[in-house]
Amino acid sequence: MITTTALTKTYGGSRVVSDVSLHCEPGTITGFLGPNGAGKSTTLRMIVGMARPDHGTATIGGQRFVELPNPTRVVGTLLDASAMHAGRTGRTTLTIAARMAGVPTSRVDELLDRVGLTDAAERRVGDYSLGMRQRLGIAQTLVGEPQVLILDEPANGLDPEGIVWMRRLLRDFADRGGTVLLSSHLLHEVQATADHLVVISQGAVVASGLLTELLASSSLTLRTPDPEGLARALRAAGIDHQPGPDQTITVEVRDGRVTAEMVARAASDQQVLLTELRPSDSRGLEQLFFSLTAAQPAHSQEAAA
Amino acid sequence: MTSTTMTLPHFTLGAGASAGIFPGIPFRRLVRVEWSKATDTRAARWLLAAVASSTVGLMLVPILSPSAEDQTYTGYLGFAALALSILLPVVAILTLTSEWSQRTALTTFAQEPRRMRVVSAKITVSLTLGVAAALFGGLVTAAGLAAASVSGRILVPDLDAGLCAAFLLYVVLNVMTGVALGALVHNSAAAIVASFVLPIAFGLLGRTSTVVADWLDYSTAFNWLLHGEWAGHTTQVLSSVVLWIAVPLAAGLVRTARREIS
Repeated sequence: MITTTALTKTYGGSRVVSDVSLHCEPGTITGFLGPNGAGKSTTLRMIVGMARPDHGTATIGGQRFVELPNPTRVVGTLLDASAMHAGRTGRTTLTIAARMAGVPTSRVDELLDRVGLTDAAERRVGDYSLGMRQRLGIAQTLVGEPQVLILDEPANGLDPEGIVWMRRLLRDFADRGGTVLLSSHLLHEVQATADHLVVISQGAVVASGLLTELLASSSLTLRTPDPEGLARALRAAGIDHQPGPDQTITVEVRDGRVTAEMVARAASDQQVLLTELRPSDSRGLEQLFFSLTAAQPAHSQEAAA
Repeated sequence: MTSTTMTLPHFTLGAGASAGIFPGIPFRRLVRVEWSKATDTRAARWLLAAVASSTVGLMLVPILSPSAEDQTYTGYLGFAALALSILLPVVAILTLTSEWSQRTALTTFAQEPRRMRVVSAKITVSLTLGVAAALFGGLVTAAGLAAASVSGRILVPDLDAGLCAAFLLYVVLNVMTGVALGALVHNSAAAIVASFVLPIAFGLLGRTSTVVADWLDYSTAFNWLLHGEWAGHTTQVLSSVVLWIAVPLAAGLVRTARREIS
């Protein structure tokens, strides 16, 4: 539903987005992950026509955003929850959105209730906390009953309850056939919300695919009271192995050519006792991500929260 | 957050997967929404109230100082014109700039990415406000004249249809200077300051150069228009319209169409 091909953007001589190609299918949530300043927001802004790519294209349902006759009926966008008129009330903000979309303004009350802002509806947005603006922004994206959501750092400012609430909302939206693209600089947030992942660093995509595949472990961890016996058993079965951390033994799975069952069988054939046989802790994506964010150590604390 | 807000939200997904099934936003709807946006904040209402009260306030000047001010219909109408030329351009400026100052452009142009349609709607709203304000100024003038005449004063009825039309045009052109400035500058404070400083600056320059006074100072040019003094001034008035409205507005439209929004 969302497709970009080789989106590229240069500001003042430096490439902030470089050949970014994304593809988001209906029924999925794609997490767009990268440290601050990696080019996430610029990419999202190019998708919705706020910034012009130097080259490359972005389409939603096959059409460029700026060609959509009434975009909010197709795409709900929340690029910056603090970019709201401070002098309008929450209700007025949503009413304007409903009128622009051409949906009944009776939807406004329903949406205010859905995002938990009914009591704050008559207060000016300038008096809202960032979390409340984020909720109002999410309500605004839903006004036109779109099929696609594009959200830039939607978890910012939400309390833990609010984050759980938003995850369920997005999962429900995707389960009904919607397409979600959301950005985040927090790996754990994306891990808990998305099913597809695109990792961006310095403007370029460095990893992308199914979350489960990207997080899949590339090795097995084994433990035994008889390491020499196990080493012999593995050699006999033709399985390569190395000593792992903490007196374990590590076996590479080699894209599925080596399985836990093969390892267990090899040990069983030689009557070697296994006390542990499991996928190794996946550190690949995390290591990749933290190496990208190493310059900003504050993130690891946020991610752990 | 209370537990009631934690229930799983239910919402319908749009009826069609195809992007093209919803018709575009009619221009009438854009104008109505922009009208609401121009008038739905406390700041906007205070400003409109200030426009109204300054018009009434200035109308008291010829009533209360009959010896100092011309006791003519056009003299009274001139005070309404003066009052409206001060604050009404500010209303127009804010209508154009608030999307940038409040950063709501990010929302508005996601609702209607054809930016020229949005700006056109804003201009339509500004012009409507201008015409409404001119009518209000006419009513206040009529009330002022009635009050003066009830007190037994002799007033010169020197107003004709042409001068009434000139008054309307004067107010509308002043609104358009605000529109043009707001479309170009995008920053509320800077545009408002410019709208007050530039006429003064050109007025001062006009004292040293008749070219500036005759061709570049729009306050002078629009006053000729207001008083129906077209003889010899037609091209000079047009010069001001081009310089202060057409050129900045065109440049502002280009800037708005091209500007990257963040």
